[in-house]
Amino acid sequence: MWLVFKKELLELLRDRKTLFFMIALPLLLFPLIFGAFGFFASKAFKEAETKVLKYAIVGGEYAQGLSASLAAATDKFELVDVSPDADLKQLIRDESIDFALKVPSNYDQPLLEGGQATLILVLNDAGLNMVQSRVKDLVDNQVEYKRRQAFDALTLDDAQQTALLKPVVIEKDDVADSRENWGEKIGGFLPYILFILCLQGAMYPATDMGAGEKERGTLETLLTSPTERHKLVLGKFLTIAFAGVTCALITILSMAIWGVVLSQGMAIKVVGEFMSAISALDFVLMFLMLAPIAAIFAALLLSLSIYARSFKEAQSYMGSLIMVAILPIIMAMMPGVDLKGGWAWVPITNVALAIKELIKGTMDYVSLFAIFGSSMLIAGALIAFCVYWFNQEKVLFR
Amino acid sequence: MIEIRGLAKKFVVENLKKLSDQEKLDPRLKGRFFHSVEDVSFNCEEGQVLGLLGPNGAGKTTTLRMLSTAIKPTSGSVSIRGTDVLAEPLLARRKIGFLSGSTGLYGRLTGRENIQYFGRLHGVSENDLAQRINELADLLDMHSFLDRRSESFSTGMKQKTSIARAVIHQPEVVILDEPTTGLDIMATQTVLDFIRRLKAQGTPVIFSTHHLDEVDELCDKVTVIDQGRTRFDGSLLDFKALSSGSMHESFLATLKGAA
Repeated sequence: MWLVFKKELLELLRDRKTLFFMIALPLLLFPLIFGAFGFFASKAFKEAETKVLKYAIVGGEYAQGLSASLAAATDKFELVDVSPDADLKQLIRDESIDFALKVPSNYDQPLLEGGQATLILVLNDAGLNMVQSRVKDLVDNQVEYKRRQAFDALTLDDAQQTALLKPVVIEKDDVADSRENWGEKIGGFLPYILFILCLQGAMYPATDMGAGEKERGTLETLLTSPTERHKLVLGKFLTIAFAGVTCALITILSMAIWGVVLSQGMAIKVVGEFMSAISALDFVLMFLMLAPIAAIFAALLLSLSIYARSFKEAQSYMGSLIMVAILPIIMAMMPGVDLKGGWAWVPITNVALAIKELIKGTMDYVSLFAIFGSSMLIAGALIAFCVYWFNQEKVLFR
Repeated sequence: MIEIRGLAKKFVVENLKKLSDQEKLDPRLKGRFFHSVEDVSFNCEEGQVLGLLGPNGAGKTTTLRMLSTAIKPTSGSVSIRGTDVLAEPLLARRKIGFLSGSTGLYGRLTGRENIQYFGRLHGVSENDLAQRINELADLLDMHSFLDRRSESFSTGMKQKTSIARAVIHQPEVVILDEPTTGLDIMATQTVLDFIRRLKAQGTPVIFSTHHLDEVDELCDKVTVIDQGRTRFDGSLLDFKALSSGSMHESFLATLKGAA
């Protein structure tokens, strides 16, 4: 068995294509993709923030203060004169202006006399733009002034003013600590990446070791060697599972390292605090939970691979397997799905949920054993099936 | 030495409609089963070389696969020096060196590693392994490419490596499925010389081929299979005596005689 494992591993390591997909891709490319994405997103954001916006104003005479402050901020806004009856919407569509303001006649009147003023902002709000928040910054000054004016007229003291502005304040007293909070957010996502990567990493070696042997014609020779079939199967199976786990861990590790490298200063503190809150035991348990999943995937992949007549056929089978395997993982990411009740019995989903609980630090360790045990049982059954499958002539000589 | 009696193999036909018209006419198709091999018997003694002849699709490869225990026969018996191969396939596999017709190598391993892997699977000790690989490399003239990755081998190099791999555990019987197909003249000669050496050592060799001149050159015995049945089983002299002319005519005569 170890002989087969050693040989398969050697062969795997000799293959540049596999190494590239398993190690180079997650190590270099993923951070690169994420980095580039972050770079362009922040650049677009900055652009929207600093761009000089062209605007038109209708009824500007009703809002002296606002008009003045708009005109004063020449590095942010640029007035475009339009005739009072111009079609503002058309102008925005033509991109001759970025937004237009329609000021009501009561805008500059004191609050208590004029009542609520409705300022109409005409803009194209599809896509990334900061128009509304930038206009609001200016308007807020006037709101403050109007309030002050009204409060003075009513002769209210500071406490009354505060109470009037916010009659009731809700203050959160969260029993969940920051670990549980973050865990809920990251915990759903981590098993998802972990499982998919595991499947991905196991796929290529699985194809190579089943369908690949058939295609190269080495299978028949292997079958006529005096080694029991279950040893052949286990050797291959171990290699596949090992490749899957390695791929997943390398990627996670690279993401963690790059994450720390890229996010500086405060972010490190948050990540560090969060990481240190998770005990070493929990990390070990998470890793252990990955084992039965890798085993289930490896056994499934090997069965498919040995059934397939060729590389191509194996790959198309595995494509559909990914679709099937993703479903229970996505289930675990859905809000409201947790280890209580029926979900604890759904294979794969329950492991994903358990990993999430481990990250959150709210794991019930008794059910952890139940989940681990049942997943191991499924994995064992699948391996047994794999061995049975390897003894079927109609599978081997299709 | 090695004795095959009434070997038969039937396959379940999954979908009858998928078969071509010609396949449907094959008398071996009976209901849901395709009797690829119906009744094959022959035997091979120590130091004999047996040539297995037959048209394409006659059941030669299936027969050899059964001999190599890759597939289980439906009925019949195979015994090597009294050991029933069917009852103890693991033991039989140690006694048999099998080279399948469609055999390949692990391309990312070197020639030596390919041979080593199968040697180890056969439980050959490391010392013996190194020594035997060396001997075989001398015999088959493999030293120049032994430590290169086998994906870049020519057909001849591959076949030599495969043969070395098949006999690394010093089997009692060697079974070769079309060992010379697709080889150039030099490589063919190496293979034939190798078979001759095995014969000199007293190891029985069973090989299938389409080249009658090879049979003429090497074989002591000839077995002709057609449509899953033994049509002729006898010595080379008897085979030649079937017709006054060439070996080809003898071959055709066995097929006609059956029909």
